[in-house]
Amino acid sequence: MQDRRRRPGVIAALVALGVSLILLSGCGDLSRDELNRGVESLSALAAQGELIASGVARDATKSTYARVMAKTLGGEAEHEAEKLADAEPSPEVSKERNAAVQVAGELADLFSELQTFPGDEHHGALVEKHMGEVKEQADAIVARLTGEPAQ
Amino acid sequence: MKSILKIALGIIAALGGFLDIGDIVFTTQAGALYRYDLLWAVALGTVGIAVYAEMCGRVAAVTGRPVFDAIRMRMGFGLGLVSLVASTFVNVFTVAAELGGLAIILQILFDAEFSLFVVLAAIGLVIVVALLPFGGIERVFGYCGLLMLVFLATAIHQGPDWGEVAHGFVPSLSDSKLYLYFVVGVFAAALMPYEVHFYSSGAVEEAWDESNLRENRLNATVGYALGGILACTLIVVSGYLFHPVGVNPTDLGTAALPAQGAFGETGLLLALGGIMFCVGGAAIDSSFAASYNLAQFLGWEWGRYRGPMKAPRFTVSWLLFLSLAMLIVLSGINPVEVTEYSVVLAVVALPLTYFPILMIAGDRSFMGEHANGKMSTTLGWIYFAVIITLSITAIPLLLMTNGGGG
Repeated sequence: MQDRRRRPGVIAALVALGVSLILLSGCGDLSRDELNRGVESLSALAAQGELIASGVARDATKSTYARVMAKTLGGEAEHEAEKLADAEPSPEVSKERNAAVQVAGELADLFSELQTFPGDEHHGALVEKHMGEVKEQADAIVARLTGEPAQ
Repeated sequence: MKSILKIALGIIAALGGFLDIGDIVFTTQAGALYRYDLLWAVALGTVGIAVYAEMCGRVAAVTGRPVFDAIRMRMGFGLGLVSLVASTFVNVFTVAAELGGLAIILQILFDAEFSLFVVLAAIGLVIVVALLPFGGIERVFGYCGLLMLVFLATAIHQGPDWGEVAHGFVPSLSDSKLYLYFVVGVFAAALMPYEVHFYSSGAVEEAWDESNLRENRLNATVGYALGGILACTLIVVSGYLFHPVGVNPTDLGTAALPAQGAFGETGLLLALGGIMFCVGGAAIDSSFAASYNLAQFLGWEWGRYRGPMKAPRFTVSWLLFLSLAMLIVLSGINPVEVTEYSVVLAVVALPLTYFPILMIAGDRSFMGEHANGKMSTTLGWIYFAVIITLSITAIPLLLMTNGGGG
């Protein structure tokens, strides 16, 4: 009998603990490390975009390849932008977070342009150049976050 | 020359095994992250799978028994069932991943809805299996998979520092958990259980006997060495192109970029074609392996050579596994992530696959004069110790590295 009386309390405590854990996992400030990882993945996406755009610029690729890859990577950039924009940054990385959201947005736009003109060499060359610039911006944010010089 | 042409079974098993979707992404990522540092893990895995595949083929040729028969015989019903459930789980997810990979390549080539290509890829595999005999399937996927040689040409064209590449074959460990995760992943991908299940059942399909022992050795050495070399070239080309600029290749399509960089559109198409046949071959390997295991465990008639009417339960189970895999991909799960997880989870099941093989192949009362010699026994036990170590560390590393995400 005693066990039975205890059970609701134990269950309630477990439910409360579970709910707290779930809520806590969705809360909390965006840390420097998390932001750094997000920006590094943006830099990696930009580097990949630069290579794909280079293929378009040199007429050395298949347009369906450029289009599908741009669509996939653009989706990843958009997802990263949303993640960063939704996150609550800790005060000391607030400025870098805003810069990262802007970089992610620019990256998504560039992939969108590549997706629209996957066979246009002129557009390919422009996107390649801009991807390089976006990568530099992302690397600069990483440098500010880590205190190490940009690569 | 005739002997070389006969090693299609080894080539399809090796290409399908070494260069399936997860492996292509795994090795490409390994190159991008650690440049040439993980080449030794591929070499280690290559020797390991060659050693065990040779034993499996030898057992099949001498006794007419495939691996799963041996597992059931040596480990009894209970452990045999555990092994069956574990391998079927991994196999079905591997088939799903390969189907997804095929659909990704078709989408890249023809740019239409991904789900449409998933269904078309499954139908295509059914048609291929229905129309071609076992030997034909081996030859189509094995030899067309050789389009992957474009990556070897790419590596030569890139002209990396070969001294640095050679240094990558010297084993090195690091305290980085992510590095260790990739060591486990690269090694495990080479020893996926479905490879030996398919290889030994294939030997029975082809009615091997003792006269095929030389062919078996060629298959195991040349076939798997070729798979290993191609896996190494993926690391080299990725390390050369992606590592310096910080690309993190998480998509199957990215793996083809180095070939495009070296040879333009032709290189890209050859790379995509090679990946398509490797992934297609792996889909057949793993789906057949799932049905082989089930049929051998339950004592059903099995084998492509019997035809659907003489092995109906085997055929129906194959279609069911393929359909299940198709539904998994259509549910929206990322095929690349699925296969990476299945590779690492498969490590846990490795001892259940490889221990019975080692026991049976070394049993003189069973294998007679063809039992393991000193060399096979020594290598077999060394590799078994490595397998045990990895199977203990795989899951903690998977969790600690957030599935390789760092």
